Amino acid sequence: MTFATLRGAAYVLVHTPDLVAYGSVPSFERARATDFGQNFARSLRTYDEALTYPPHQAFIGNLNPGELAALPRPHHRQAVPGGRFGPRGEIMPQDEFFLWLKAVDVFSLVELEETFLAGCRERFAAHPLVSDTELARLGDGSPLSSIEERVKQGAAPLFHRGRLVGCVRPAHEHDHTLAAGVMLENLVAKASGVIVLKHLVKLTATPASSLDYLIETSEEASGDENQRGGGGFGKAIGEAAGCTRATAVDLRSFCAGPAHGLVNGAALVKAGVFGRVAIVAGGALAKLGLNARSHVQKGMPILEDVLGGFAVLVAGDDGVSPILRTDTVGRHRIGSGSSPEAVMRALVTEPLASRGLTPVDVQAYSVEMQDPDLTETAGAGDIPRANYRVIAALAVKDGHIDRSALNDFVTSRGYPGFAPTQGHIPSGVPLLGHFRDQMLDGKLQRAMVIGKGSLFLGRITSLFDGVSVILEANPGRPAAGALPASHAVTRLALVAHDHEAGATEVERGARLARQRHGLDVHILRPEDVPASITGSDPETRLQRWLEQLLSSGEVQGAVASHYNFPLGVATVGRIVPPGTGETCLLAATTGGSAADRVAALARNAVYGHILALALGNPRPVVGFLNLDGARPALRLVQKLAAAGYPIQLATSARADGGQLLRGNDLVAPPCDVLVADTLTGNLLVKILATFSSGGARETHGWGYGPGIGPGWPHLVNIISRASAAPVIAAALEFAAELARAGFVATMAGEFRKLEDLGWDALLATAQSPPALTASEPPRAPDGELTAELAGIDALELEAATAALHAAGIPTRSAMGCTGPTILVRPSDLERGQDILRAAGYA
Amino acid sequence: MFKGAKVIVLGDRDGVPAPAIETCLVAAGAQVIFASTECFV
Amino acid sequence: MDLENQSRVKALAEEYGPGHLMVVLGGAEAEASGLAAETVTAGDPAYAGPLTGVQLGLRVYHILEPEVKAAIDPQVYEEQVGLMEMVLDVDAISAEVSTIRQQYTRY
Repeated sequence: MTFATLRGAAYVLVHTPDLVAYGSVPSFERARATDFGQNFARSLRTYDEALTYPPHQAFIGNLNPGELAALPRPHHRQAVPGGRFGPRGEIMPQDEFFLWLKAVDVFSLVELEETFLAGCRERFAAHPLVSDTELARLGDGSPLSSIEERVKQGAAPLFHRGRLVGCVRPAHEHDHTLAAGVMLENLVAKASGVIVLKHLVKLTATPASSLDYLIETSEEASGDENQRGGGGFGKAIGEAAGCTRATAVDLRSFCAGPAHGLVNGAALVKAGVFGRVAIVAGGALAKLGLNARSHVQKGMPILEDVLGGFAVLVAGDDGVSPILRTDTVGRHRIGSGSSPEAVMRALVTEPLASRGLTPVDVQAYSVEMQDPDLTETAGAGDIPRANYRVIAALAVKDGHIDRSALNDFVTSRGYPGFAPTQGHIPSGVPLLGHFRDQMLDGKLQRAMVIGKGSLFLGRITSLFDGVSVILEANPGRPAAGALPASHAVTRLALVAHDHEAGATEVERGARLARQRHGLDVHILRPEDVPASITGSDPETRLQRWLEQLLSSGEVQGAVASHYNFPLGVATVGRIVPPGTGETCLLAATTGGSAADRVAALARNAVYGHILALALGNPRPVVGFLNLDGARPALRLVQKLAAAGYPIQLATSARADGGQLLRGNDLVAPPCDVLVADTLTGNLLVKILATFSSGGARETHGWGYGPGIGPGWPHLVNIISRASAAPVIAAALEFAAELARAGFVATMAGEFRKLEDLGWDALLATAQSPPALTASEPPRAPDGELTAELAGIDALELEAATAALHAAGIPTRSAMGCTGPTILVRPSDLERGQDILRAAGYA
Repeated sequence: MFKGAKVIVLGDRDGVPAPAIETCLVAAGAQVIFASTECFV
Repeated sequence: MDLENQSRVKALAEEYGPGHLMVVLGGAEAEASGLAAETVTAGDPAYAGPLTGVQLGLRVYHILEPEVKAAIDPQVYEEQVGLMEMVLDVDAISAEVSTIRQQYTRY
């Protein structure tokens, strides 16, 4: 059984001290004349204080969350180094965030003061995740006087260090669900969601446009007075982050939302509904300063001054990433009861027992990971610790551990809390990134992620909610002692010693791949081949060395400018057709899938289909270009589909349709995979790659793609000796994407399915037909041959003609607008059509 | 102690939630006239 | 204590008379439970809610206190609360709430 896997998790904090006043508790307290109001402003932290606060550094991955336990409490008196960015995200300052609010505002509700905007614009533009669209949306800002006027009329003011720098206007004159405060709350959730989703896309090196589904799990409500919680956060965030192919949904269950999202996402991937699912949520404005009353009372800084955000990527089994055991899902049932024991049994012991496991068999738990510095002074205690103690107490009660081992259980299987009290943000998800890394390093086998939600706060039920799921190290990952297959870094070999522009160009390509995509690239040179590898010539020895590295898993893939694939292996490339600007696969581009032209075309279609599957497209559409041999090849693939292989065929976008694609379709393909013979495909890649460079250098695209064929065990992507450095880097990134996607396993699996369906036998039936020869062809004057038999493939023209001659029908061949035709006497037309149809030529 | 008593229950999401307390008290003969669970997070 | 809960408690005390009411708490921690007990006896110590300055003097207990446990069917108590005896600091919570009760309860 395969499961969905956890591909990465991103985390963001936004330090927003001036927004704390908008929190539900501070806004209430400040409205009363108490000393809270007087002490409020001086209790807020600076950005630097928020940056060095240890739990924040743990949240973005600069500090192992386990190490927090070794730091003296309270943590707000400690400062750790680390900085703004971490391996899992960042801590963004307030002023830049206000520009993001503006950049994601599609309704012109956010106005920023012009000098403030000018002062931050450069820093905003320098952010690695900011696009030109976002920059353009900033505009020039408004004069202070106009913002002051807006605020007087009901806009929500935005302050930075106490100075009015902008406002958010109401989105409707009367509708309270679109009031300024609500719009601010929703734009805050959207903007922080966009930022963290962009981080996820970057850190997992997954193009935003390749995501299929977004599940948004914050606790905000977007809609108007007729549907106060209508939804739309998911699509709004996806739209701003460039997820053009994805659809999205808002999923709610108070703080349990993210855990429900994780279970749903994993299930949809496992069911094959979606290939890549991101679960995402931005921060909660209302929860800022939730316990500020007690923080201020005790002379502490107001620690709830950050918005949180997280995003998680779930996709198919890559053989490496931790698997989400959707067969072991804990759920708080409506009838479970609400005692702490009933809740934790439903979430922890019941799902474990279903697989014969106990709480002791789980090495680490991610519960509600609230930072205790924030909650203890308010009387809520140390929430993660209380959760761990309940699990441990269950283990004691059920006799799995001794009472005296309770504290040990808590410290060995638990983590200190480190997440802000942003409701859904601390709930189960904060440790996902850490767990993933631990599992990839072989340090963790099984963990449980638990989300709980206080449904009763909505006053329509007294019920509680919760859901849990087990995360396990991928059984397919290499055994201990071997090189880690894939961590943050994918290791690739690059072989291009025969490059036309010399070694420098190749080195530049490798450097770009390292810098832009964080890949570990090793250039293999003929002079470095180990002496133990023998061969008749340096080329052979180099190839053997590469194959050895691939076989041992030393590298996960390779990019080569020259590689001798066996017959049966052809490469499938990726192109950007000018008519759509979106990617499309082209099969084939080098190599040869079969010696026979028709069989080769049919195979190419299947190879392209396989690559599309490996790239996460669950239902690729394949289209044959109208080339010699395409018609019989198309028929073969139709037979394959009829035999049960789920391959879908395209229809031409031209008015007359048909299943063969014309030149117009090449420019704007109505499909995910274009099928051509290798030489044509190769020409097309070269045209697209050199179009703007004058012809000599290939400056666009990803090269020629990976070799695909039955029994072919490796990931080797092909480039040309004329590929410029950016194309070399792109080819490496393409190979890395395939390595992470488990390309070799997908390829092997698909060829197994094809074998089971009798694909080889099917191919053998339809070799290009031998020409039949009639002894003396029947003749008629050309003037009488006016009726057209169309839809015949050029390769079969001769055989079709012979079949007609054998039936005594005189013919003349001609060229129609979509291919060759045979002209016959109108009186022979019907009989001729029958003969050709019966013989399979039309 | 609780027989016939009118009781207000103020539970805590991270301590003992109100419905669990209510079940105990009702079993002891109390009449629960209001029950609510607080949430600090 | 939650402000909405304070106003409910106040209204119920007016309706039934404070001498006829009891409050049972489920707080996770001693200090917070003590503050809740204080709120329904001596008034809201945070000066935030409707019970500010209102001395209801209600009889108040925590569900984890031994005398409360003794008054409840052991099997039901074990099912509903048993686990939390292991998790929460029963002694500290009991000491805090009973101190407040002895100090401020008028009934």
